[in-house]
Amino acid sequence: MNLSQAFKIAAKSIAAKKGRSALTMLGVIIGLAAVIILVSYAQGQNEQMRAYYESLGTNVINIEASGPNSKSISDALYDYCLELDDLVLGVTPQIQMYNQTVVKYGAKTLDSYQSNWEESPQVVMGNQQYSLCNNYTIAKGRDLAYLDVENYSQVCVLGHKMAEMLFNYADPIGKTITINGYPFEVVGVFAQQDPQNMTGKDRNILVPYTMTRVLNSSNSWSAFVAKAKDGPSTNRAITLLDGFLKGLVGESGYYYVQTPNQWQEQGDEQIKMQQRFLGGIAAISLAVGGIGIMNIMLVTVTERTREIGIRKAIGAERRSIIAQFLIEACMICGIGGLFGIAVGYIGTLIVGKASFNLILFPSPGITAGAFLISVALGIGFGLYPAIKASGLQPVVALRAE
Amino acid sequence: MLIDVKNLYKIYNEGQESEVRALDGVSLEIDYGEFVAIIGASGSGKSTLMNILGCLDIPTYGDYHLDGVDVTALSDRQLAHIRNKKIGFIFQGFNLIPALNAWENVELPLIYQGVSMFRRAERVEEALERVNLADRARHKPTEMSGGQQQRVAIARAIATHPPIIMADEPTGALDSRTGKHVLEILHGLHDEGSTIILITHDNSIAATAQRVVRISDGRIVYDGDREGAGL
Ligand SMILES: Nc1ncnc2c1ncn2[C@@H]1O[C@H](COP(=O)(O)OP(=O)(O)OP(=O)(O)O)[C@@H](O)[C@H]1O
Ligand SMILES: [Mg+2]
Repeated sequence: MNLSQAFKIAAKSIAAKKGRSALTMLGVIIGLAAVIILVSYAQGQNEQMRAYYESLGTNVINIEASGPNSKSISDALYDYCLELDDLVLGVTPQIQMYNQTVVKYGAKTLDSYQSNWEESPQVVMGNQQYSLCNNYTIAKGRDLAYLDVENYSQVCVLGHKMAEMLFNYADPIGKTITINGYPFEVVGVFAQQDPQNMTGKDRNILVPYTMTRVLNSSNSWSAFVAKAKDGPSTNRAITLLDGFLKGLVGESGYYYVQTPNQWQEQGDEQIKMQQRFLGGIAAISLAVGGIGIMNIMLVTVTERTREIGIRKAIGAERRSIIAQFLIEACMICGIGGLFGIAVGYIGTLIVGKASFNLILFPSPGITAGAFLISVALGIGFGLYPAIKASGLQPVVALRAE
Repeated sequence: MLIDVKNLYKIYNEGQESEVRALDGVSLEIDYGEFVAIIGASGSGKSTLMNILGCLDIPTYGDYHLDGVDVTALSDRQLAHIRNKKIGFIFQGFNLIPALNAWENVELPLIYQGVSMFRRAERVEEALERVNLADRARHKPTEMSGGQQQRVAIARAIATHPPIIMADEPTGALDSRTGKHVLEILHGLHDEGSTIILITHDNSIAATAQRVVRISDGRIVYDGDREGAGL
């Protein structure tokens, strides 16, 4: 009795018990695919959430203040922020244009009142540190410069999607667009920030905040964004700004100092919770798959025990019986496991496309872990009766009921 | 001596109220080439004795030498070799593997013996022809009658050409014509030199044996020629 004979006997046995073999395989396939798909789904969700919170930026401080004399408040606040340069990396006015915005380039027109939300242009105004404070990087051309602001230059930097919509992959640098009829030269394009188009950051058109005079009816600006060095600096800067603004705006004024960091902490908390949930899901689906495998294996224990009794009676050695059942279980669970991975990957791709519009791949670690566990379960439960029954006297095994 | 058994006991639930002495001090010698019939009432211990002789079970007490070897001292692996090479066992209840067809069932002991594929095919064919079942080779046990299943079981027992054939009521489930055919096969094997040990309820079958052993309540109450047994 050598290994090739054990293989032959095992293959014969699998072929002879097609129904049972298929059922066992199905148990492994379903268990494994369920684990892979569920875990991948939850991971995709995590990924998306993390990306969202990251796009909000870290160590950013949002500041708003208004009072009887907004212009002087703004000036004072801006100067104060510059004084905090050991805590703060940069500060920029942050103004959004809320009135109707019509952007034109050649025959292409984008109208914030006409387009739907996903294509609506958004003009934002800031200084040369706007991109730093809002986590933008330049993909093409250059950023706003100090002199653009000082000189009231009619220049703009386009968000990724805005550039795409207006120029359709042609090079926008040096071209002139019009915003509400005023010409602006495109000097740069931001790198993509928001592939899911969730925040609208890629639809922004940044112009120097000194353009408020041209584009906005009012020229009072009082919202700022500052970028602090790190977490502790953020908290310290908030405390200082808080005290400063309280004195500045007086009794009748209004101010606001906040950081989205706390949001992010909330997001991290949520992600952790989801990961725990995910672990639970993985454990449950593994358990369900495992119980299915176990069931099929144990239901046939009597039948197997009798078969082992017969094999022993006609002269099979214990080790060749164990080898046969081990090979049988390995082949069934291994093939089932491979199919399970295939189904899991296909399912993950479909689910990822449908729910996140992402090409989602299961992590190799999860895949390998789930494969090993379900195959080990199948082999364990397949082998257990064989090990037990092959140690019995043949008559005892034959009497099994 | 081929089989030499002394003071064999098989006691179930020893010491309890439900104690059963299936074998209660059996001593028996069987020589090479004998044809022995074991008879006795139902529950007298015939199958128990045969299972021990066939190395399928172990006695509670007693000695068993097979071909000069002390069987009670052998390892599980050595016993498997004896079952595989020396003994062809035909069970009271066929004991075929239901998932395998007749051919594969007969082939199994040859695979465990390590016989090459080509030689296996020869032996399986020969054995199936001997029991007149060559045309049913690809049928599974569930697709065959009791008599056909019994003949597959015989083919499996003789495929390895074992020197000893033990048959536990091989004709019990068969009509008299098929039963006679099975008996002819066993006599044919005996003529070729095999030692045959046969359990039967049927006196006319026992009457064809040279030697008859009668068991009652786990003891041998007669051991001699068929005339003395009153057959
Ligand atoms: N596992 C067991 N546990 C308890 N008692 C048993 C067991 N196996 C057999 N017996 C008892 O041992 C006795 C002998 O049984 P055995 O099967 O040897 O009888 P038999 O002579 O072959 O009967 P039959 O002609 O009906 O086949 C019976 O009384 C039976 O009840
Ligand atoms: Mg019996």
